[in-house]
Amino acid sequence: MSKNALEVLFESRARIKILKFLFRNMTKNYTFAEIVNHTQEDASVVRREINKLQEINLIHEKAKEKSA
Amino acid sequence: MKKQKKKAPKRKPQLVYSLNRDFEFFSELRDLILKSPASEKQDLLERINKLGKIKLAIISGIFLDKELNDPLAVDLFLAHDYLDRRKLTIFLKNLEAEVGTDVRFATMEKEEFKYRLSMFDRFVRVLLEGPHEKLINKLGIE
Repeated sequence: MSKNALEVLFESRARIKILKFLFRNMTKNYTFAEIVNHTQEDASVVRREINKLQEINLIHEKAKEKSA
Repeated sequence: MKKQKKKAPKRKPQLVYSLNRDFEFFSELRDLILKSPASEKQDLLERINKLGKIKLAIISGIFLDKELNDPLAVDLFLAHDYLDRRKLTIFLKNLEAEVGTDVRFATMEKEEFKYRLSMFDRFVRVLLEGPHEKLINKLGIE
């Protein structure tokens, strides 16, 4: 497999990183800041990708539940 | 204009994101994303070589798509003559970003590794007897 085939296929390194992160930690919810921190990508890029993924309904957004 | 308006209490709830399991191709996409190698080996090797004088570099676990069950097992192990700690920190942070999860790792000086090897140290045994791949092997370890 060529280098970073998925990145090429998906046309975005950030998108793949976000998806990897979310799929590997599937049971949890993350804030925007946490996703930016974990992916080490630019916040504006992450924002754009998250919006796209939301548009196609692959990820959803909800208000953080108050723990205690 | 009221200039000294009190700091409005933050009303906006914090938003969190998660995957929608009802997504049409959820399982197909998950397989595709998770089965891709965590990091390209050649690329990994080049980056590890820049961290210092690395004598032995072993990958396992997440890089080989293997579950690590032993609590002593690591995904990445380096034995070295010299290691730039600052570079290592940056390297690991980036690596974890690419992999999407924590990378378990251990480093030690070459001499310590040799000593532990000669002692049949448990950590070294877990490392060398489990599924692993040597990216760098200048110590002639079998």
